[in-house]
Amino acid sequence: MNCIECRDELVARIEGLLGDEESLQCQAHLETCAACRAEYAAFANLHQQLVARSHAAADVSIVEPVMRRVLAVHAEPEKDTIMSILQKHRWGLGLGAMAGAVAIILAALLSVPKTQAAAVVVMTKGAEAAAKLTSIHLRGQVRTPTAENFGYPDPASDFVSIELWKQFEPDLKWRVEKPGRVAVMDGQSTVLYVKPLNMGMKVPQPSSSAFDTGWLHKIANLSNTITQDRDNAIAKGWKLNLAEEQAADGRAKSVVTIQAKSDLPDSDYLKNQQFDYADTRRVYRFDAQTGLLEAVGIYLTRNSGDVLIFEVNQIDYNRPIDPAVFRLDLPANVNWYQEPQKLTDNEKYAAMTAQQAARSLFEACGREDWTEAAKFFPMPIPETLKQFLGGCQIVSLGEPFTSQGAGPTDQFVPYEIRLKTGETHSYNLHLRKDPQTGRWFWEGGI
Amino acid sequence: MDLTDKEYVQRCRDGHPDDFRLLVHRYQGPLFSYLTGRLGDRSLAEEAAQESFVRAFQSLPKLRKPESFYSWLLGIAGRVAQEQFRSRKRHQRDREAAETILADNADDPEEYPLEEAIAALPETYRQMILLRFYEELSCHELAEQLDLPLGTVTKTLSRAYALLRQELQARERAGRTINQTELP
Repeated sequence: MNCIECRDELVARIEGLLGDEESLQCQAHLETCAACRAEYAAFANLHQQLVARSHAAADVSIVEPVMRRVLAVHAEPEKDTIMSILQKHRWGLGLGAMAGAVAIILAALLSVPKTQAAAVVVMTKGAEAAAKLTSIHLRGQVRTPTAENFGYPDPASDFVSIELWKQFEPDLKWRVEKPGRVAVMDGQSTVLYVKPLNMGMKVPQPSSSAFDTGWLHKIANLSNTITQDRDNAIAKGWKLNLAEEQAADGRAKSVVTIQAKSDLPDSDYLKNQQFDYADTRRVYRFDAQTGLLEAVGIYLTRNSGDVLIFEVNQIDYNRPIDPAVFRLDLPANVNWYQEPQKLTDNEKYAAMTAQQAARSLFEACGREDWTEAAKFFPMPIPETLKQFLGGCQIVSLGEPFTSQGAGPTDQFVPYEIRLKTGETHSYNLHLRKDPQTGRWFWEGGI
Repeated sequence: MDLTDKEYVQRCRDGHPDDFRLLVHRYQGPLFSYLTGRLGDRSLAEEAAQESFVRAFQSLPKLRKPESFYSWLLGIAGRVAQEQFRSRKRHQRDREAAETILADNADDPEEYPLEEAIAALPETYRQMILLRFYEELSCHELAEQLDLPLGTVTKTLSRAYALLRQELQARERAGRTINQTELP
C-alpha cells in the first residue's frame, strides 16, 4: 500500500470499516510512513470535532418555524388584496426563544427603570396565565375599509366589528369575520369568502392564519404575543409603561403600554398601511390578580396624533366553541380564485413592464373588453369591478415603485383614470408578476 | 443525491418557495453549530439561525453564485450574530452577569472556522460531510442512500477530510498573518 492508497483508506480505518487484510496493509504503511501517520492523527482529530459538532446540533429542528416565516415573506403583503394565500407569522422566535428570554428579562429588570421592569413582570405573568389555551374567542372593532381584507388599518374609516374564534385543541381551527368578509380554517382547508363580490378563495390545506388575519391571530396567540411584545420592547428599546387602575367592581387592573415601531422606513409606501408595518401604541389591560389579559387597544401613531384603530373588549378563554362556527356554507355560484394558466400568446404579456400591464388593463376596461382584461385577473372579474372600470380612460400613469413590505415580484403603478361617470379616480395599482406564467396580475389598488 | 444547492436556489427563485425547506434542512445543523460557537448560547443561536435563513430567502434574488449558497448563508449568519451580540451587549453592559451569558469569543469567527471550511468544500464533498455528520448517517447508510459502494463513500470522505484539513491550515496561517500584522 502506497501513501495515496493509504490516505484514501484513513476514514474507513477511523470508522472501523476496513477488512482484516486492508487493515493490516494500512497499519504496516502507517508504521513506516511518518507523513501518513501525521495525516491519520489529523483526520482522527477532525473526525472527533465533526462528531462533537453534529451531536451538539442533533436536536435542532428549525425547518418549520423558518418555513412559516419564509412562506409568509413570500406571500405578503397585499395592500387591497383579496388573494393573500399564506399566513403571516413574523413573531415566531423558535424553540429556544423562551430560554433566551429568561436571560434577557433578567438583564432588563436590572437595567431599566422600575416602572418598565414592573411592566415586564406584568407581561410575563400575563403570558404565563394564557400559556395553556384550548380555545379563545375575541370580539372587538377595527377601523378598516369594508372593501379591504382584514389587515389594513385606516384611521379615516369607521369602526366595524371583528371577531375571531380559535380552537387550539384537539385540533387547530379558526374563523375570522367582519361585515362582508369571512375566513374559516376547518382543520382541512382555509377559505376566504367575500360576500359583496361573491368571490371565494380556497387553500387546500390548514393554516395557522391567512388572508391578512395574521395580526389578529398574533393577538389570539396571547402567550406568544405578550412574550414577543415584551422581548421586542426590551431588545429594541420600545417605550414600555405600567399603570395600575381600579375597575368599578373594585378589582385592580394592570395596564401596560408599549410604543411599538415598525421595521419599515417612514418613506416606504406600505408603512402604516398594514398592522404589521405600522407604528403603534399598544395598550394591554390585565387583571392584576389572575394575570389574564382582559382588553387590548391599538393606536396608530402619527405626527398628527394617535388614533385608536383596533380594540378587543371581550376575551373568552377556554370556552367550548360550537363546531358550526368552523363550517362555511357558500352559494353554489361562487367565483373561485383560479391558478393563472399560460396563454397561447403568453410571451406578449410576460414581456410587459408593470406600467405596460397597467395600461393594457385599463385600456381593456375602457373598451369593456373583459376577455382581454381577464388576462390580468386570477379570477373571474367581479361584476362590481366591471361596473366601476367599464368605459374608463387613462389620464396618467406614473413610474412603478416597490415596497420592502411587499412581495419580491410586486410593483405599484400610480394612476389616474376618468370613470364613465366623469369623475376621476387615482391610486396605486398593485400588480404581482406570477412566477409560473411570467404575467402581471392585479392584486389590488382599485 | 438530492438536488444541488444551485438547483434548489433556482427553484426558489422560480416561484417554488417550499423548496427552500430542503436548504434549511440541509444546513440547519452546521449553521446552528456555527452560531452556537459565535454566540455561546443555544437558544440565541437557534433564534439567529432562523433569522439568517429568513434573510437569506429574502435575499436569494441577489445571490450571484447559487452554488456558493452555504458560504453566503454563513456570511449572513455572521452579521446576524454580530447584531445579536451588540444588542445583548447594549442591554447587559452594566451587568457583571453579562460576562457569563455572552461568549468571550462572540466576535471572533476564527475560533469557529470548521463550518466555514466545510462551506469552502466542493459540493460533492460538502454534501457527503453534511450527510455523514449533521444528518448522522453511517457510512453504510450513506452508501445505500447514494447508491454507491461503501469503499467509494469512505474514500470520498477521506478526500473531504484532506481538503478540510488543508482549508483549516490555510485559515490558521491567514489568521496568524493577520495577527502578526496587527502587532505594533
